[in-house]
Amino acid sequence: MKHLINLNVNGTEYEVAVKSGTSLLNLLRDQCMLTGTKKGCELGDCGVCTVLLNGKAVNSCLILAVEAEGQNILTIEGMATGENLHPIQRAFVEKGAIQCGFCTPGMILRTKSFLDENPNPNKEEIKEALSGNLCRCTGYTKIIEAVETANDYLKGKKPKVIEYQPQKSAMDFTVVGKRLPKLDAPDKATGRAQYTDDIVLPNMIYGKLLLSSVPHARIKSINTEKAKSLPGVKVILTGADVTDISYGTSPPRYDEFVLAKDKVRFVGDIVAAVAAIDEETCYKALKLIEVEYEELPTVFDPIEAMKDGAPRLFDDKYENNINTRVDHHFGDIEKGFEEADLIKEAKFVGNRTIQNPMEPHVAIAEWDRHGRVTLYTSTQVVHYVHHQLSRILDLPLGNIRVIMTNCGGGFGAKAATNPLEILSILLSKKIGCPVKMRFNREEMYLYGRGRHKQYIEMKIGVKNDGTITAVKQKAILEGGAYSSFGIVSTYYAGSMLPTLYIIPNYKYDGYRVNTNLPPCGAMRGHGTPHPRFAFESLLSMIADDIGMDHIDIRLKNAMMPETRTCNDLDIHSCELKACLKVVREKSGWDKKKGKLPKGRGIGIGCGGFVSGAGYPIYRSNFPHSNAIIKVEEDGSKAVLFIGDADIGQGSDTVLAQAAAEAMGITLDKMSVVSADSDITPLGFGAYSSRVTLMGGNASKMAGEEIKKQVIKAAAKKLNVHEEKLRAKNNKLFDISNEENFIPWSEAAKLYFSENGPLIGKGHYSPPKGLGGTYKGAAIGTSPAFSFSASVCEVKVDMETGKVKVLNFWDAHDCGTAINPMAVEGQVEGAIVMGMSEALLEEEVFDSNGKMLNADLHNYLIATSAETPDIDSTIVDSYEPEGPFGAKEVGEGATLPILGAIANAVADAIGVRIFELPITPEKVLKAIKEKSN
Amino acid sequence: MNSLEFNYHSPKTLDEAINILNKCDNPALLAGGTDVLVEIKKGLRQADDLVSIKNLNELKIIKQKQNEIVIGSSVTHNEVKNSSLIKEKLFALSEAASNIGTDQVRNTATIGGNICTGASCCDMAPVLLAYNSELEILSSTEKRMIHIKDFFLAHKKTSINKGEILTKIIIHISDDQTGVSFLKFGLRDAASISVASVSVMIKFSDKQCIDSRIVIGAVAPTPILCSKASKLLCDFKLTDFSNENILSKVGESAAEDSLPIDDIRGSADYRRKLVKVLTQRAIKIAFERAKYI
Repeated sequence: MKHLINLNVNGTEYEVAVKSGTSLLNLLRDQCMLTGTKKGCELGDCGVCTVLLNGKAVNSCLILAVEAEGQNILTIEGMATGENLHPIQRAFVEKGAIQCGFCTPGMILRTKSFLDENPNPNKEEIKEALSGNLCRCTGYTKIIEAVETANDYLKGKKPKVIEYQPQKSAMDFTVVGKRLPKLDAPDKATGRAQYTDDIVLPNMIYGKLLLSSVPHARIKSINTEKAKSLPGVKVILTGADVTDISYGTSPPRYDEFVLAKDKVRFVGDIVAAVAAIDEETCYKALKLIEVEYEELPTVFDPIEAMKDGAPRLFDDKYENNINTRVDHHFGDIEKGFEEADLIKEAKFVGNRTIQNPMEPHVAIAEWDRHGRVTLYTSTQVVHYVHHQLSRILDLPLGNIRVIMTNCGGGFGAKAATNPLEILSILLSKKIGCPVKMRFNREEMYLYGRGRHKQYIEMKIGVKNDGTITAVKQKAILEGGAYSSFGIVSTYYAGSMLPTLYIIPNYKYDGYRVNTNLPPCGAMRGHGTPHPRFAFESLLSMIADDIGMDHIDIRLKNAMMPETRTCNDLDIHSCELKACLKVVREKSGWDKKKGKLPKGRGIGIGCGGFVSGAGYPIYRSNFPHSNAIIKVEEDGSKAVLFIGDADIGQGSDTVLAQAAAEAMGITLDKMSVVSADSDITPLGFGAYSSRVTLMGGNASKMAGEEIKKQVIKAAAKKLNVHEEKLRAKNNKLFDISNEENFIPWSEAAKLYFSENGPLIGKGHYSPPKGLGGTYKGAAIGTSPAFSFSASVCEVKVDMETGKVKVLNFWDAHDCGTAINPMAVEGQVEGAIVMGMSEALLEEEVFDSNGKMLNADLHNYLIATSAETPDIDSTIVDSYEPEGPFGAKEVGEGATLPILGAIANAVADAIGVRIFELPITPEKVLKAIKEKSN
Repeated sequence: MNSLEFNYHSPKTLDEAINILNKCDNPALLAGGTDVLVEIKKGLRQADDLVSIKNLNELKIIKQKQNEIVIGSSVTHNEVKNSSLIKEKLFALSEAASNIGTDQVRNTATIGGNICTGASCCDMAPVLLAYNSELEILSSTEKRMIHIKDFFLAHKKTSINKGEILTKIIIHISDDQTGVSFLKFGLRDAASISVASVSVMIKFSDKQCIDSRIVIGAVAPTPILCSKASKLLCDFKLTDFSNENILSKVGESAAEDSLPIDDIRGSADYRRKLVKVLTQRAIKIAFERAKYI
């Protein structure tokens, strides 16, 4: 049944025919072509589809279009006036409140309705007001600041100007070290930024996947006849129709087929793919596909799965379901424990969590008639998708173009080739028209690739003065059905422990075990947050036993610059001690620790991470990051072409800052084209916190090459020796007489006129030979390591067990912060995500392996209402291997959080929780057990 | 996910709505849609015809008629939350409304929808029970009144019959000497589902407690009026309200009346503990709100 309705959207009258079931969201996106309103969960839980209906915020996914008849709708496209941003948009841009930008339209509209209702809000009211708009990137902190600033703008007040002290290493720079708004922020604030799902190609159809409804079975038969005869269905593929080439993430463990061949191994395994004229028809067709399963015994618990006789997921590999086994021993563990005055051990259990970027995975594939395919996708890793597609499709790289659109967050969820990317291509090839495929939120959970749940036995030996003599760790990682990143996760779980403290003797036993659950993969901090939680918890317990302050024991053992760890990792810059000192002072630690009333607690945790993996995921000798800069013929703009991916963290801006600094121009003279395999040179993408250091070095090098060329042209014009010229602030001047200069653009124009294109190129490869020679020595290597310390203060309701995180004080050694505002954004986002993981998140399954909380209604992530006050400091540091001294922040900032919260809770209630998440129920149980 | 496929009806009057309901084989009422549309998308419910009562003016009222406050069933949670009349006369109801879902949900979801969905974790139910509300239900043949305590039959099952529409919620306002409170416990500070909730009403006359009700929610298939605990509370002396031991006994009694289950939000045992704590806290708040002197 169709209805002809009239509605007013952003002041424009629309007359449209809608079906009874069409949501306002789909009407706006598909019929009005207003794609600034985003699709995040379709169930009213996430708020990214927020629009104003007669001035009130609503989730447009749960409003029927037909009910918008005669109503006034305001979408993000209606906020700005001509060229002028609305004051709220301006505040969001300036304050760094926009990262991936996927929640931004809804967030801005909710801010509008809120400030219309309440023109004098306090911070708590703002936090409450935005709690229906989930954000996974920012930790809400900068958003809350933006709302305050927006309110000042709306009232004609000048917002408070905050003076920031630059880092010592950034003093002499003009672009690097500056708090500049992201280049893409205005587009994201206005809904202009295009994400994959916003693209509609002519003649495009849609695809969906049939997921296994059983946890473990042999596929006896698949009957697609009924589905095929449904009007609108174009093509259906099953395992028999696709290649026998298996794929995955790590070459030694390519154990997935594009579609299940003979077996399904978890509820959610992919059985068939359908393409039809629209998603609705796909959903209907999926119901008509008949699959006959022969169910097999299942195993969901990794400890059970390792036992002899347990059901096997793979008959031909992974004995006892052990998918990866690591056995590392550095130094002499027995001698180390013999030297200890105190040895303490404990068991810890992590939680199965998932990235939940606000944007679901989407891909669109289109073949041309020359045998070439173009894929638009929301990915972190254009190159690895490119490489994997080449393998699977048996096509040279040159016949495949992978374009990353704007990406609405990743955190590891989009760090490998996913089935949508492959199947959209296969379906598109078969039918001859472009195919769009999209996960809904439930499918994201079932696809999995979230954090491995780890079962950890940690043992630490110390001298009476707190000096660590030995550490032994055993970790069992619950891996789910396939390998994904798991081999790397298992190594990382062990290899990163010795990077924070001096550990002379270390033994690590790692096991990754397959179970009939969605596969686990790489999530922010990849494999290391749970071991870090265990270690930081146990170290604080040991400090209590030997009567030492928790910060003192960390200072005693803290990593020092220019150290080779026991597992052969080379640490260069390291300011962990400075981080510890900052948070000790800022948090008022010495006044609070041990002195807070019952139910209040303070805790410390430390962290750190690699600044990019030392080696690629598959063997190659390509430089890891590559850049080309092309300067316009009139010198007005330099365009940076970079293969690395801005997934919201702001790398386009940060890399442009590095390039601009190197060239001597300002950021407004830059534009960036990133992550398009046809246009940009190879870059490994956004994973392992690699982009700032590696992409930054490549961009800087390309910029320096440009600078050399413009200096040559300027020298000729000014008649000054090249060595006497400097490039800075869009000028080239004589260092002995700054008045003797020519504009940078003029020099560039001169160069072009005489020599043709002004182009610079740069590349970066990590130093050769990083790491040791033992098996797995490559994992954990990096050109540089970040360090951080966080103090957390909590309040615990002693009668219900509920934990409220009040404050975080964080100090981070990220080398030179190329953009301190972006660094703070990473830290704040990591704190809130870490807090959310520590207190709220866990995937839960029933006894048949079916996930019980595969939505944002039951799998809770932190809202703005939980956001603590965050004080973050970037300590003075300089990394010689990084561009302008820079290294990573995005993942390292997650690492201290779990331990800091666990330690604060233990301080508040006098008893420790060993298992994540730290739910009110566990806390109350612990309190009661202690008092009994 | 299921696509939304149904016929949509937008009757102009209540009678027309009831006519359509009676004509259709498998209809569902649509008010805010935040439950029914989600249930259809998730495949938990099928409906061939959706009958929208969102815009029926007679269901959008909030008014006082002598000693009664009448709230139409299509009034949204935010309308309840922001109504000055409700804030003044039924403060705990506006509190309960303000803690449901998100602002976006509260702008859409309705008070009638909340109780007609009949979920065990329904937040309006305990407080409406504490206020001793009555419900007006309309069918093609009659307009019947039912006390809210008889409304909830099981999880997602109410005494609304096919072809009936909940039209009004009627609350008798007591004098100043009555205090009502509502507390819910969710795992998140905002937008969370109740793990347990408690509403308490205490009425005083001449510094004597003369009536009380303790209602617990999300800890049984339906909200439960704890008669024994209510009786204990009714017998309170003024000093008992600050006596933790005595309060604790009432909390325990309320917890004994609960029939909780283990689910992803908490175990049955934990819910009992929460009921006890929330009851004690809710009593104290209700006591402070009753201007008993």
